[in-house]
Amino acid sequence: MQYLSNSSTAGVLLDLSGALILLLAFACLASKLFNRYVAYYGAQSVVLAFAAGVSAAAFHSTELWILAALTLAVKGIAIPVAARRLLVTRLALKRDAAMSTGLSTSLVAGGALTAFAYLVTRPALLPQGSAAAAVVPLSTAVILLGALAMVVRRHTVAQLIGWLIVENGVFLGAITLVATFPFIVEAGIFLDIVAGVLIMLVFVSGITRQLAQASAAELRELRG
Amino acid sequence: MTALAVVIALAPLAGPAAALAGARARLAGAAQAGGGAAALGCAIALLVTLSGGRPLQGWDGFLYADTLSGFFLLTVAAVTLLAALGSVSYIGAQEDSGELGGLQVRLYYTFFGLFAALMLGSLETGNLGLLFVLVEASTLASAALVGLEGRARSLEAAWKYIIISSLGVTIALAGTLFLFYSASALHPASNLGLTWPYLIAHAPALAPQSLRLAFLLAVVGYGTKVGLVPMHTWLPDAHAEAPSPASAMLSAALLNTGMYAIIRFLALANARLGTTYPRAVLLSFGFASILIGALFMVRKGNFKRLFAYSSVEHMGIIAVALGFGGLLGLYGALLQVLNHALAKTVLFLNSGDVSLRYKTREAAGVTGLLAAVPLTGGVLLLGAFAVLGSPPFGVFLSELTIVRAGFAHGSPAFPLLLLALLGVAFFGFARTVSAMVTGPPPAPPSPVPEPVLVGHTAAPDGQAAVPAAAPAVAVAPPAALASPYRDRTAVAATAVPLLLGLAALLVLGLWIPAGLDTVLRQAAAVIG
Repeated sequence: MQYLSNSSTAGVLLDLSGALILLLAFACLASKLFNRYVAYYGAQSVVLAFAAGVSAAAFHSTELWILAALTLAVKGIAIPVAARRLLVTRLALKRDAAMSTGLSTSLVAGGALTAFAYLVTRPALLPQGSAAAAVVPLSTAVILLGALAMVVRRHTVAQLIGWLIVENGVFLGAITLVATFPFIVEAGIFLDIVAGVLIMLVFVSGITRQLAQASAAELRELRG
Repeated sequence: MTALAVVIALAPLAGPAAALAGARARLAGAAQAGGGAAALGCAIALLVTLSGGRPLQGWDGFLYADTLSGFFLLTVAAVTLLAALGSVSYIGAQEDSGELGGLQVRLYYTFFGLFAALMLGSLETGNLGLLFVLVEASTLASAALVGLEGRARSLEAAWKYIIISSLGVTIALAGTLFLFYSASALHPASNLGLTWPYLIAHAPALAPQSLRLAFLLAVVGYGTKVGLVPMHTWLPDAHAEAPSPASAMLSAALLNTGMYAIIRFLALANARLGTTYPRAVLLSFGFASILIGALFMVRKGNFKRLFAYSSVEHMGIIAVALGFGGLLGLYGALLQVLNHALAKTVLFLNSGDVSLRYKTREAAGVTGLLAAVPLTGGVLLLGAFAVLGSPPFGVFLSELTIVRAGFAHGSPAFPLLLLALLGVAFFGFARTVSAMVTGPPPAPPSPVPEPVLVGHTAAPDGQAAVPAAAPAVAVAPPAALASPYRDRTAVAATAVPLLLGLAALLVLGLWIPAGLDTVLRQAAAVIG
């Protein structure tokens, strides 16, 4: 398997995209307004699509081009537009106040998780001087931040987007670490279908009505 | 052989086909049971062929079955058949009482068959990427079953299940990526790097650092589907809210499918890293699961949640047994998979009968089951003893094997801790179940609250007829225990899967057939 060196143009661009994606994950974590949360997620997906395009050009891989186009169309445009239309326009819901921890606490936890990601992925795992060595810790951090967003947000749709951030992290790792991963497009399409089903579930089910009451914190009947 | 494997995965689709063609609950259920029986028959035939010879390989590694997959196919197919038989009476009764509409019945069988087919399919693939896709797809199919009843609680449970499982399976995808990366020194042609038989044959060439990470991520990721603590939080809700035969499928088939995925990663880890690291991981998650499962079983409440926590505990026991390792530990783990699946299917199908009769899922609302409905009460009692590991049932034998394996490999502290936790679980489970089966049956004429309330609100209006109506309500026959079934045939049909399951458990407790013994030894050898 061939590696991108971290000083090649593609390597530098991937590194830069990775940093941007991490920054946008932090932005999602820190945004109080729901429409900004969705917008940051959309921007993150657009950057991921760009990174997939860079990787596709570097490895001359048709599969990665498909992945890039798919990411741009579904995660960059369709999901943010659908979430925005569902929540902001239809339910007139602007503020996503429902966080189970304070904003500063969640940001500190996010910083700690980023440091943790560097601790677990740095040593001896990745080839020295490759683009992957720079990007994989970033992608691990994005995975952990997405999971954190799922934990601290009480809103069902915000949790769903937290999961999509995790997915972005996994794909960022995939396109730099194992660009020849054979299942990458299938997995991408498949997870998009899952996300689509979940969004439809929110649309058609009673969960929508509960959302209209400003928060899904009421989804707490089942305990223990 | 390939044809057999294909039939196993496609046979459960008979139910969806019948349901989509417009069959009502009983007919669709019969089609589903027929499909389940065909799948079970083919699984046995496939297992016999596999245990005598080479593994089945085809389609560039996308189709792969060895004795280990054959054993899990047998388990899942048996559970599918029993749960389909249970569905005939449970869903039929719910359709008769109008609790489930025609559309819901059709949806139920559509997703039931799809769910079974996806699980059986995921046990037959050697490609770990396809395994990921099939496991995640089975999440979607089963979430539809969890949310079937459409109440706020079941929708919440379905949402929680889907979102937590999807996160877990995404983590498993990351594990699969690292596994593929660990094979990069081999320069595999694209799909081979994800094909399990290729990887296990070239295990010494895998990169150990990323294989460690891959194994850990797979245990966390697929462990979410298995219900290992602390990724188990969706499990009690989903099991409590799903229709009872679907709960049986979740507990006895889905959890085992997740365990199968972990076992495939475990075999690779054992082959390359030795047993120390996988043992540490599995013992940690396993004991955490047994501890949390046992402690939550002490609490009284919804009896389906009780059974669900018992599943968490049993999955922990299986993880611990895999961690103990050696022939004895792996043999015990696999035997426990089969025994737990049978016992939990019986218990969940029986819980459907209880909740239909008592109209509640709270243990506190159920008393005197043995006196009121001797068959259901007796099955609950025997099933509880079976799942708790009393002789002469199969679980006793497998748990004994696991404890012996613990004493044979390493510190005696672990098997002693296991025994102590099993004691806690026994206490908690038996406390609730004994209160359910003993005592007097529910007092018949407890006045229904609503009519009395109407009487009180009407009284200030000065209408003399209303107080006179109240005693008439009080002497009405006890609605709580009216038989929910249409006729005697339907009642007999409920007993069939329960007695089949108990009989199988009894046989496994007294005698392990020579063929099964061979299969278990071969499957244990596959794991390492």
